[in-house]
Amino acid sequence: MSDRPAAEREPGSYRDPSGFVFRRDGTLYRQVNAVFADDWAAFESSGLHRALVDEGVLVADAPASLDLAPEPGAVAVIQPDEIGFISYPYEWSFSQLKDAALLTLRAQAMAGERGMTLRDASAYNVQFRGGRPVLIDTLSFERAHEGEPWKPYRQFCEHFLAPLALMAHRDGRLGLLLRTWIDGVPLDLASDLLPRRTRFSPGLAAHLHLHARAQRQHAADAGSAATATQAKAVTMSDGRRLALLDHLRRTVEGLHLPARGTQWADYADQTSYSAAGTASKEAIVQRMLEAIAGDGGRRAWDVGANTGRYSAIAAAAGYEVVAADIDWAAVERHYLALRSAGEGRILPLLADIAEPSPAIGWANAERASLLERVNADVVVALALVHHLAIGRNVPLAMVAQLMARLAPNLVVEWIPKQDPMVQRLLAAREDVFGDYSVEGFRVAFERSFEVAEEAPITESGRILFRMRRRNLGQ
Amino acid sequence: MRLLFAYIDPGAGSLVIQAIIAALVSIPFFFRNAIRSTIGRLRRKPTDGASASVSSEDPGAAAPTDPE
Repeated sequence: MSDRPAAEREPGSYRDPSGFVFRRDGTLYRQVNAVFADDWAAFESSGLHRALVDEGVLVADAPASLDLAPEPGAVAVIQPDEIGFISYPYEWSFSQLKDAALLTLRAQAMAGERGMTLRDASAYNVQFRGGRPVLIDTLSFERAHEGEPWKPYRQFCEHFLAPLALMAHRDGRLGLLLRTWIDGVPLDLASDLLPRRTRFSPGLAAHLHLHARAQRQHAADAGSAATATQAKAVTMSDGRRLALLDHLRRTVEGLHLPARGTQWADYADQTSYSAAGTASKEAIVQRMLEAIAGDGGRRAWDVGANTGRYSAIAAAAGYEVVAADIDWAAVERHYLALRSAGEGRILPLLADIAEPSPAIGWANAERASLLERVNADVVVALALVHHLAIGRNVPLAMVAQLMARLAPNLVVEWIPKQDPMVQRLLAAREDVFGDYSVEGFRVAFERSFEVAEEAPITESGRILFRMRRRNLGQ
Repeated sequence: MRLLFAYIDPGAGSLVIQAIIAALVSIPFFFRNAIRSTIGRLRRKPTDGASASVSSEDPGAAAPTDPE
């Protein structure tokens, strides 16, 4: 035992007594507990495990040695395929969350055909891999029992349906409510925030408004023996459960974002420089990314990616790309474009680099902060620095420090003050940014980085830099 | 009902209301299925079998009507 590296339990894996996820020597494993042995056996013998993996609904796993189990009572240890980057539902756009919801219902349908059922419907059980959502919780399935209602119903409505409905009918930014409510958006809140007209949509009227009312009613007389008896006496025929699930699916499928633009979504089409400038910028970015790839770079973070023009260049240069943007409409457009092109190397992500997702949940460790999850070899920061330095008043030295924290390599664009895009930011405010000059930029960034290459962008006054993080240990 | 191994709280109100909703939506559900299987049976006669199965459950291919 002592010659083995210690096992570290994943901090987010504590709720379910059927097993848990841990790491040993950097490798991810999952322990299956004895209490779950019969359902685990049924998961295999029903053929569901195989079918889900074959269809790409569930992440694949390989059996591992029982000796690896860190805690007593294990009946199996598996080694699931790792996901390149773990993202959370509050970092997804509407269609990403919608596809995750439909994947969950698809998994339930496949389980139902084999005498099994989902035990939970947590949005955190879904991750994006190769551009598609995939379930990562291999222990989410148990044997179905005659007459049982669908136990994850409430969780599905709180994790998926409520935020989707709010985004579709109220505001696309409301997916961020999931950041405050780790267990999903409270249905009474969703019901209150949704426009009155949604009471006439049968799906939302039933699964959100009536559902919220029923919860409120039963909470009022919670603890009464009558309530407990009534809840436990609920039975449902297989046919009715199927009908319910079908109705949920139709309700989710019926949700759409209103086709309105936001400030950013059209940004890529209205750059301030010429076609020659664009071509020049693309060629330089490509060359710089290829140079870093030549040094072994595999993962790129495109920060301020908008709808992904340069993420595509990074992907073509061989990178797995996280394309982060602050604007949900840009992330949504990017995701839909990638989905229809079948491009799986890029993950669009809703993130504000000036205020990255915090760590949330139990002991502030259940869901890691964005900065804890960054695993990039290179950060691509194009047309970003002026937004941070001027739009958000962040001193250039602090911008450089954050970039250095994110990755060892940086491709960054300098945009001078006289550029129309910077002037736009200064239009209604006093220019208190005396340090915003290319000299100030160099001083600030060269504290954290050394410049490996720089190249002016044709006809624009802008400059692209390729930088390497200084070894601070020296 | 066997709630023994439900590690999540299904919620008393959620259980009760889902039974009621399921009862309501099962009526059109079965009606639709009956129509679909009848159409399927009629369609199968003139050679065409492929178009009879309608499934929009593939999550990736789903939601073709999303705004672009």
